[in-house]
Amino acid sequence: MNVVELVEVTKVYNLPRGSIRALDNVSVSIEAGDFVSIMGPSGSGKTTLLNIIGCLDVPTSGRVAIGGKDISDLGDDDLTKIRRDKIGFVFQQFNLIPTLTALENIAYPMILRGVNGHEERSKELLRSVGIDEKLGENKPNELSGGEQQRVAIARALANEPDIILADEPTGNLDSKTSKALMVLLKETNERGKTIIVVTHDPVVAGFTMKTFTLVDGRIV
Amino acid sequence: MIFFEFAKRNLGRHKFRSVLAVIGIIIGVLAVTALGILGNSVRLAASDQLYLFGNELVVFPYGGDTISEDHFEQIDKVADAIPVKSSVDKVIFNDDSTLVAVYGMRTEDIPKLLEKDKGQFLKHGSLDCLVGSRIADDYELRVGERATLRTQKPRIVGILKERGVGFDINPDNAIIVSDKLFSALYNSSGYNLVIVKVAKIEDVEETRKKIEDRLNKKEQVVVVMEMKMIVEGIKNLFNMISLFLMGIGSISLVVAGVSILNVMMMSTVERTKEIGVMRAIGTSQKGILHMFLFESLILGVIGGVIGAILGFGVGYLVDVLILNEASYLFAPSSILYLFLGTAFGIGTSVISGLYPAWRASKLKPIEALRYE
Repeated sequence: MNVVELVEVTKVYNLPRGSIRALDNVSVSIEAGDFVSIMGPSGSGKTTLLNIIGCLDVPTSGRVAIGGKDISDLGDDDLTKIRRDKIGFVFQQFNLIPTLTALENIAYPMILRGVNGHEERSKELLRSVGIDEKLGENKPNELSGGEQQRVAIARALANEPDIILADEPTGNLDSKTSKALMVLLKETNERGKTIIVVTHDPVVAGFTMKTFTLVDGRIV
Repeated sequence: MIFFEFAKRNLGRHKFRSVLAVIGIIIGVLAVTALGILGNSVRLAASDQLYLFGNELVVFPYGGDTISEDHFEQIDKVADAIPVKSSVDKVIFNDDSTLVAVYGMRTEDIPKLLEKDKGQFLKHGSLDCLVGSRIADDYELRVGERATLRTQKPRIVGILKERGVGFDINPDNAIIVSDKLFSALYNSSGYNLVIVKVAKIEDVEETRKKIEDRLNKKEQVVVVMEMKMIVEGIKNLFNMISLFLMGIGSISLVVAGVSILNVMMMSTVERTKEIGVMRAIGTSQKGILHMFLFESLILGVIGGVIGAILGFGVGYLVDVLILNEASYLFAPSSILYLFLGTAFGIGTSVISGLYPAWRASKLKPIEALRYE
């Protein structure tokens, strides 16, 4: 089954200087259980593609289906629910919520969804990404970059999403920590999660099974 | 609830800023509460000192003459009427002479209009007198003493209760005698005014019309004054004073509202990226809206409650200093201003938070995420 299905997707941004075609007739299928990387130079449309797969943006034309559900015509509330339940985000800058502890950050998507027993499950997730339980009560600014990104992965997994989307997940980490993190993502993929990584780092891409390369909004 | 928790923690992030915003609300609520209580106390104090009885009509002769016996009978046919003769004269109490109002009334009418404090009312045909509370105090009069009024020396058989300034008669500063004694003293015919007590307040206007129709048929003979209208006029006046004072207080509340708006706008801008992240991982627009509204609500509740308590304290001081009387502070209508002040504070705060909260909730997730 294809978890992600893009058919002839075009995204045009209208800017004062003229319009920019960020994605030009892109068709992509990603199967459940894939570990995929999207590469390309900056301005090639990587982030736009990721935003569309992540239901943060809608295409100008073309169809997008996530987990078999067509999202092209959905409104904000429905897109928000899909992001909450079907997609886990991992950002370059970790982006944990600063007022919440590590455990609360992991629990937050479950609280939004109204999941029972989120406290227990947050602890499990924290352990599963290799963070000591004692650090669970720490606020993000009391954790190292590598630890924050692990917590972010645990948060992304909280609602058992269909897909994990990682945007330059190692961009702010040193090479040793980066490698450990990619190992964690690989293990996560081996447990059955579909993972899509946007990167310009060939080492990161090397961990994945398949690589799409974007140039000027087209897959080459 | 998670968004309430967020609101609490977000306010805690910038304690100093939150405290300043709360202080603004406190000052505004304090002003509204204290001035509201003051206005209300002034109103209560005034109504204590004024004799205001909405059911009364007062009939005066038109043009300065008196109301004849004949005309009085006609009024009496419309409704139960009390005729009053009045004069101002020199009276001597214990060698002190003074000018006071002298009222001559039918003895059976006196208990209908006045209350006694000491002694008793006049008996039918009595040649004694009653004195008002103010002169009884001023001249330290006691029941049983005598007053000198022209050729007569009526005995004081009763002292009246304080009634306050009225629009019919002012018994506090008067001496009251029977119509018989009055006629003997002044050789007068007719009445200076007639007081009509109407049983039901709704009938006041109709009764007034009836009296006017009967007496002023050919030419104007009497002027009928409705106490109700005067009462309402005075009430309106005091309500306006109260409103004006509250209005002054509200200005500081508006300033506080602007400061909350400012604080909230600052926080939505500062937290743009965070809002983007929250939206990306599944927080709805409503969630963001609630989070910010809770923040302004918390500021409003804290400021409103503290402000109302302080306002009550200041209201107490002002009452004691200006009116020399603190009892009006605990009147239900004064206590109401505590809640009103708190509600205004919370309302101002939440209204000021509406726009920033709405703006934050409408941020586009991708743009908010990109914000540095």
